[in-house]
Amino acid sequence: MKRFTFDDKDAFLAKLKELLASGVPARRIQIVTPIPVHEALHMLKVPASPLKFFTFTGALTGFVAGFALTIYTSLSWPLITSGKPIVAIPPYMIIAFELTILLGALASLIGFLHLNRLPSIPHILNPDETGNQYVIFVEEDQ
Amino acid sequence: MKPERENPATFFEQVEADVLGAMQKPEKTYWLALLGAMTCFGIGLACWGWQIYSGMHTSGKNNPVGWYMYITDFVFWVGIAHSGTLISAVLFLFRAKFRKAFNRTAEAMTVIAVMTAGLFPLIHLGRVWFFYWLMPYPNQRLLWVNFRSPLVWDVFAVSTYFTVSAVFFYVGLLPDLAIARRRVTGIRQWIYRVLSLGWRGTATQWTHYEKLYGFLAAFATPLVISVHSVVSWDFAMSVIPGWHTTIFAPYFVAGAIFSGCAMVLTLTIPMRKVLRLEQYITHDHFEALAKVMLFTSLIVAYAYILEYAMAFYTTNVFEQAHFNFRLLGDFRYPYWLMCFCNVLLPLTLFVRKLRRNLAYLMVVSLLVNVGMWLERFIIIVTGLSHDFDPYVWGNPNLSWIAIGITLGSFGMFFTFFLIFVKVLPVLAITELKEERAHETIHV
Repeated sequence: MKRFTFDDKDAFLAKLKELLASGVPARRIQIVTPIPVHEALHMLKVPASPLKFFTFTGALTGFVAGFALTIYTSLSWPLITSGKPIVAIPPYMIIAFELTILLGALASLIGFLHLNRLPSIPHILNPDETGNQYVIFVEEDQ
Repeated sequence: MKPERENPATFFEQVEADVLGAMQKPEKTYWLALLGAMTCFGIGLACWGWQIYSGMHTSGKNNPVGWYMYITDFVFWVGIAHSGTLISAVLFLFRAKFRKAFNRTAEAMTVIAVMTAGLFPLIHLGRVWFFYWLMPYPNQRLLWVNFRSPLVWDVFAVSTYFTVSAVFFYVGLLPDLAIARRRVTGIRQWIYRVLSLGWRGTATQWTHYEKLYGFLAAFATPLVISVHSVVSWDFAMSVIPGWHTTIFAPYFVAGAIFSGCAMVLTLTIPMRKVLRLEQYITHDHFEALAKVMLFTSLIVAYAYILEYAMAFYTTNVFEQAHFNFRLLGDFRYPYWLMCFCNVLLPLTLFVRKLRRNLAYLMVVSLLVNVGMWLERFIIIVTGLSHDFDPYVWGNPNLSWIAIGITLGSFGMFFTFFLIFVKVLPVLAITELKEERAHETIHV
């Protein structure tokens, strides 16, 4: 594993460009940066995050669960209060709305942790700090 | 960040050193402040203990005023929480740059304020050990909660709000915890290592991270509006004069952001000085926040006027009697003080010089906090004490227990906030770095 370290973002980007131009495939390059560097992500053609599928699944589950919970429980004890219908959609919408957000946010977090394989025990035990430097790791040819 | 334009790498080191420097061994004044806050917190807990032991008559509630200081405190603290989400999520979506000076503090404030607020519905309960009856769960009584009741909506709204703000706070902290772990040693380093989950900052990590942050901001934005709307419906769904109105949701949300911005000022003005963060939180930032406060104060003022206009136009005798009582009745002095604090005083912020004067902003923010607490008190107590039938009119009792618990809630809030200041980075280091890196490209 070759390692190039830079203090300066521009030098880092120049080196990255050079490596890619010299024919090193993007999948063998790994970068570690103190801040997100969009130019580098672009150059390495990092695929768009599939996190949205987690978010959507969570949010949809919350929405359905909100209505299911309220409607099921009201029907299992059908007690009329304040002359409102047993299955009253407007108030149940509030529960569904809150659960959409709750499960959507939690699913996003879980998805994020899963996609990044966090928590990562090896890196907790040995963080291999790169500080404020921009680092390029290049895997050697097999 | 006006001063000399050093290169980004030096700035990166500098901002880490400055922000994490604030987490060093505390000075004597810090310990004194913490001791004061913990004492108040202790008094609050003792009062609550006494109330549980001896019964709800100690809380000053009576018939007809069954909602009193605890519900006031609940609405006040939930309101305080709101500006944290406004600053961290709404302003993020609007790309308002000034948020970076406040967002970490405001997010911490949100989490702590919701924790404080969440206790009050429990304190308000006669038999607190049955609080779990609020949750829908299969039980041997074969009973479910009443989902048509705003009080149950509140349970869902506030618990969702707490969870999502805590997640948002933690996610924002993640790269900064990774910075903290290499700048401390010993057991503290291990704590930060575990908390940062082994974060490195690889290309894929940043890609997913930015996506996650955006999604959480997009979730938090409608959430923050829904939470205080639901809180306002606790009142508006009833038929009590002064409560039963459709403007309550926007009125409460604006009031919440107003009081929350005031609390952010109250917290950050001294914090900036004590932790020497003048370079990062500048007068421009404070001015921007003061403008938000001014704007929301105008909405609140409009709502105050509108309430009278509606009472006047309805020709409803109860509604009119209620607002007459509010203006001239037993609670007129707190009401007038509230109008001064929330309507007249913020108008001075139209003057640019005053907006940029931190001592003045501190005074205004404290008085706005007082005013906003009084607003909730006035709405709750005047509504209940004079409803429809003069035979059941009555005022609540003064209660030292309720005052002690209110004091305790401030103690709890400041205790947790002071602990936060010393254990977590008070500014979003990574975001500040990003901003600077971005600036250097375009300079």
